[in-house]
Amino acid sequence: MSSLWKEFSKGLWKDLPPFKLVLGLCPVLAVTKTAYNGFGMGMAVIFVLALSNLLVSLLRKVIPAKVRIACFIVVAASLVVCVELLMQAYAYPLYQQLGIFVPLIVVNCIILGRAEAFASKNPVLLSVADGLGMGIGFTISLTFLGSIRELLGTGQWFGMQVLSDWFEPVRFMVEAPGAFVCLGVLLAAMNAFTNWQRRTKGLEAVQGPVHDCKTCGMCATKPGA
Amino acid sequence: MKEMIKMVVVLSLICGLSGLTLATVRQATSARIEEQVLTYVQGPALEQIFTGYDNNPVKDRKAFDTPGGPVTIFPVMKAGKLTGVAFETFGKGYGGDIGVMVGFTTDGDKLQGIGITTLKETPGLGARVVEPDFRNQFRRHSTETIALSKSGGDIQAISGATISSTGTVAAVNEAVKIFNTIKDKLPDAWGS
Repeated sequence: MSSLWKEFSKGLWKDLPPFKLVLGLCPVLAVTKTAYNGFGMGMAVIFVLALSNLLVSLLRKVIPAKVRIACFIVVAASLVVCVELLMQAYAYPLYQQLGIFVPLIVVNCIILGRAEAFASKNPVLLSVADGLGMGIGFTISLTFLGSIRELLGTGQWFGMQVLSDWFEPVRFMVEAPGAFVCLGVLLAAMNAFTNWQRRTKGLEAVQGPVHDCKTCGMCATKPGA
Repeated sequence: MKEMIKMVVVLSLICGLSGLTLATVRQATSARIEEQVLTYVQGPALEQIFTGYDNNPVKDRKAFDTPGGPVTIFPVMKAGKLTGVAFETFGKGYGGDIGVMVGFTTDGDKLQGIGITTLKETPGLGARVVEPDFRNQFRRHSTETIALSKSGGDIQAISGATISSTGTVAAVNEAVKIFNTIKDKLPDAWGS
């Protein structure tokens, strides 16, 4: 039970897909104009991710290693088309908003990444927990990013007017560059938070990739060399 | 060799099963998807044309046989009485077909108005056919001689978008032609 919770909860913070793994950024940047769009996209991803993890984990002993990627893609693609059809049938306005990004869930790195890295090596229950956790983490991230952009860009939240007239909407935030800026600021804030947490525990701050003279080929023409 | 056969069999099986699943889901949802598309694509165009009706034109739609193939007609009713009909025709635009919903009144040879359903025209030029300034020229227009002003009619084309304007007018004329072949059957179809 505890391992089940561990696999589920790691997607919620430790390995939070867009911010910690920095995977699946295409939908993160493209569909987070409003909180509702981000939430809808996240729900579609939860569905696909949990079911693809389930199926891949069920079939993991049958699938030959050499064609595994092709099998994973077939499974993910079928699920995505199912989602697309269901979305058209039951949530057409959402489908009109998300448009091309629904079929593009197939090429979202998270789906294949979780199938390859987790579901193909772990039992069914753990894989479903992993898929659900990652999917929910993804949804929360997208909804959060969408909320910030919608609030600053239009003064609304989930389509409701939240900020009154004194607020001049920053149109920039709902345009494409706003997505990059917003994501960058969020990543920076999360890193700062993690480092602060580590400092209070007496650990050293996490650093980016370190360049030292052994691994770095950048300065092959060193002065004086 | 054995491994190779296994690879082929497993991959084919997975593909076959996924095909089967997709076919089932598609069959199960296709009726509902059609309904949704009509509500969210054709519905708004109907609202642009008609006001003051109390039925659901999308729900009450019926297909009619015309010389050019079946056409789906959307009836507009007030207090159970048919007051108008609308249906969609297509004209050649600059970036693809322009879908035009054309509304007619039942009480004479007049257009009620038009609404645009699908459009792939250039933004700022051809896409301006959706603007009320252009569309309202068709409101209460007689069904005879609908033409652009350069061809002797009274519809002002959008400047810089002759192809889109011509396509829209062609779609309207096409609709008039269809309307003339079916107008006698309309009152019977919706029982008024």
